[in-house]
Amino acid sequence: MFWGWMLFLAFFIMLWGYGEYVQLANGMIVTGLNDQVSWGFYLANFVFMVGVAAAAVTVVFPAYVYKHQELHKIVVLGEMLAIAAVVMCLLFVTAHMGRPDRLWHIFPVIGIFNWPNAMLTWDVLVLTGYLALNIIGGFYYLYKKYTGKPVNKLFYLSVVYIAIVWALSIHTVTAFLINTMPARPMWFHSMMPIKFITTAFAAGPSLIIIVFLLVRKFTPMKIADEAFHILSQIVVWCLGIALFLTLSEIVTELYPSTEHSMGLKYLMFGHHGLNALVPFFWTAMALMIGSFILLLIPRVRKNLLLLPFICLAVFVGIYIEKGMGLMIPGVIPTPIGEFAEYTPSNIEFMIVGGVWAIGFFVLTVLIKGAVGIMLGDVRYEEKARRNVQGEQADAVAT
Amino acid sequence: MSKLNNKQNNKNSPAEEVTRRDFLRKAGAYSAASLTGAAMLLSPKPARATKNVTWAEHFQKNYRLMTDEEKKEAIDRLVKRYSEEFGKTVTVDDAPAMDGVLFGYALNIQKCIGCRRCVKACVAENNQSRGDKQQIEWIRVMRLEKGKFSEKDRDDGGYPQDFGIQVGGNAYKPAGVVLEGQHYYEADKVPEKDAFYLPMQCMQCEKPPCVKVCPVRTTYRDPDGIVVIDYNWCIGCRMCIGACPYWARRFNWGEPDLPAEEMNPKTHYLGNRPRMKGVVEKCTFCVQRTRKGRWTGCVEVCPVGARKLGNLLDPESDVRKILATKKVFRLRADLNTYPKFFYFMD
Amino acid sequence: MISYRVFAPFMGLCLLTAASTNPVFGEAGQDEGKECFESRKGLSQVQQREIKPGVTNVKCSPTTGGVLFWGDPFDGTIPMGDMPVKADYSHEEAVVKPREPQIDRNKLLTICSMACHNGEYVPYPENKLARPLTMHKDIVPDAMQLKHGKEAIWCLDCHHAATRTKLIDNYGNEISFNQPQKLCGKCHGQVYRSWRNGIHGKRIGMWNKGGKKRWWVCTECHNPHDVQQGERNSGFAQLNPEPAPILPKGMTNANHERGHGQDHDGTTH
Repeated sequence: MFWGWMLFLAFFIMLWGYGEYVQLANGMIVTGLNDQVSWGFYLANFVFMVGVAAAAVTVVFPAYVYKHQELHKIVVLGEMLAIAAVVMCLLFVTAHMGRPDRLWHIFPVIGIFNWPNAMLTWDVLVLTGYLALNIIGGFYYLYKKYTGKPVNKLFYLSVVYIAIVWALSIHTVTAFLINTMPARPMWFHSMMPIKFITTAFAAGPSLIIIVFLLVRKFTPMKIADEAFHILSQIVVWCLGIALFLTLSEIVTELYPSTEHSMGLKYLMFGHHGLNALVPFFWTAMALMIGSFILLLIPRVRKNLLLLPFICLAVFVGIYIEKGMGLMIPGVIPTPIGEFAEYTPSNIEFMIVGGVWAIGFFVLTVLIKGAVGIMLGDVRYEEKARRNVQGEQADAVAT
Repeated sequence: MSKLNNKQNNKNSPAEEVTRRDFLRKAGAYSAASLTGAAMLLSPKPARATKNVTWAEHFQKNYRLMTDEEKKEAIDRLVKRYSEEFGKTVTVDDAPAMDGVLFGYALNIQKCIGCRRCVKACVAENNQSRGDKQQIEWIRVMRLEKGKFSEKDRDDGGYPQDFGIQVGGNAYKPAGVVLEGQHYYEADKVPEKDAFYLPMQCMQCEKPPCVKVCPVRTTYRDPDGIVVIDYNWCIGCRMCIGACPYWARRFNWGEPDLPAEEMNPKTHYLGNRPRMKGVVEKCTFCVQRTRKGRWTGCVEVCPVGARKLGNLLDPESDVRKILATKKVFRLRADLNTYPKFFYFMD
Repeated sequence: MISYRVFAPFMGLCLLTAASTNPVFGEAGQDEGKECFESRKGLSQVQQREIKPGVTNVKCSPTTGGVLFWGDPFDGTIPMGDMPVKADYSHEEAVVKPREPQIDRNKLLTICSMACHNGEYVPYPENKLARPLTMHKDIVPDAMQLKHGKEAIWCLDCHHAATRTKLIDNYGNEISFNQPQKLCGKCHGQVYRSWRNGIHGKRIGMWNKGGKKRWWVCTECHNPHDVQQGERNSGFAQLNPEPAPILPKGMTNANHERGHGQDHDGTTH
């Protein structure tokens, strides 16, 4: 089962390799992007994954700030998810760049780092910091568990509390990246960071719920139902606020219906025969609203057989809404009013699919290792007998 | 379950046997390598691959931070590379901004006839990529319809409907200028009777949003007011394209297609030298010309003399005279970008 | 742990494939002898030729036949001379493209008078009413449309009656065809002033004050024999436009922008 899954992912990772090669050799002309729609599938996925990465904090936040005991144990799994998600973000960014071979230009000292002027540099800082925090925090905890030593609460909790605040910042800065451009009226409003955070905190925990249910199913690790109830409550609250914000946006834009509303109108209704995005918008709305209503019912919410499917609907709905429903129509029409439609090319699908596969690959490896260590199956004393790579497999086997 | 047995067997002699993991790795490597090879053979070859880019060029600094010697070296490298690629003597100028000059531009929209010669002259002068796959034009001319006044059923289009507001115009078919410009207009002869034209290009703002968002400071304002790009430093993140309210910037999605016989060999480092894939480019007020005192390509070609370029710091220049005597406006002035590209009517 | 031996031949193969592709060099030949028009089609023709290695005097548009680019803006020009009023530009070097060589290039004037007027020029008409030229239609193609000044002006108001290769001013002095502004400015004063300031009309060359400029004179852009242009009432003839940009990837046509007008209720046509 495990190997089947890994092989399945490996296939897509190979496709990613091929896609990246073609894109590096020929330039981004192999994508469906053009000067009119210059931000596309890669950045849409990037923005969504930053949200998912930020959502790891939803697991951490209740555990430590509200001292929710049940969540303590599984916090580190959330940190692993954050690492996998940030890795995906970095891969999406390098796929989006025209010249990844010139990435060194952005580093301070050897290049030029235009901080604090350029919002992108803030994003680089917070994402790198978040990755570092999660790696340090997560691996420190796991290492202590692995060696059986006590965790230094002062150090570890400081890292955790900083990570909680930092997680909010990563997605806020990503929102600032797009909402500080008056050239793009669909994005240029102060609601954007709130919308980002709420959609992230609805999609992220949905994924976490699904992952934790899988962990419960495939490993001996015990995760109390309480954890799922807390997470699903977070999902329904945040989804509710997100839908409220969407409603607010629709009313604000469509009531006076100015030239600045063209992007939203194009998304919702199409424009003069160009309506590629319309089905996406309404599907996303249906998924989000439907899930929201269902999740409001406590009996449904607490039903752990139904919950993963609703969470999947939330995840997919928000993915569509943030990607096809926000990032793409934000650049349509161009600031001077030209409409152009965009369909990702096969190479883009290959690369995006591959990055998701890499993300899941990393996530699987990390979770497997973490679960193994947490369950106590993998311990320092046995290190002499097994090589490092064999541990995780043995953790499953025994 | 057979997997488990295999693993347990491995425990005893890890050195000899090929583990499943190793096999997968090798298989993956084989397929990756063969796919790579196949890809190289099958993938379309770019029109003019910049394969002669040396390591020195790849690792050069940002132009502004270079010493004079480094600049000279960089330019020599480029001259050598371009001359080889295009089979003619290419010069790459590095003229700095002239003292006491701040370029301003004025465009007479009363006169513009929408002939698009400015667009094509700019392309002839500035070595943009051309052809079917990747055509870059820095100037975009929009056609604005003067509006229809005599349509039937115009008078009863209320807003909102059916609330007694059905007369006095039509909110859904408004009279007067149609705001949404047309970019792909085709006409037999211009100017057309029921349209006027608005060309747009980089406005060379004094507070450029593109400069602010560039994470590596590859695009910046030079002392003569021109917003320039160091093409060798651009990382292709396209934040600037997102931020520009005038849609003035273009991206080289693939390797540019520039036939050698159409290449203009008189280039400037920050201006019209041939670009490479993955970098942003835009109108530079023809730095290769203007820093030598000559007018830009678009100003010279305009058959109706609608375009004027001059030194804003010289009260006798065309542009200053226009600002002094004509009614001028700028686009999206509400965004406080302070463009130096003025529109006027005469 | 893994043996990398297997990689080497594959990488070698890949590199070999890459190295074997050669960029194709374009020929350095220019379109010699191509003709295009600088401003008025038919009246401002110029031949493309190489003036320096790799630089042509003009570059022609392949679609409309108009000049796109002057390699040397002063090619074939002569000094403009002093303007009749004091202005800054009189200290600048100003040149114009002479038209006089084109006037009577076929040397028909002598033949004309011999062939039809018994060696004499046509006597100055007694009837000073403006009327369209009925005779020399072949020389002046738009003779019958002459409505310059709404028929208040006729041929000999501008053309020298005796020296047909010159224009005339109110005092009977000759004005060269190279500098028609001295004639046109007589009535079109505001435009003339605007032209002298560089705002009306066209100049190419050096933008800086004191720099050499080629001034485009009135008749290079305007046709004084046909100022109505049919129904258009415009002093400027229509031109063929250059082609539109190619559509962006993902679009097959531009019909969405050719709507019947704004429809803000979201309905599509």
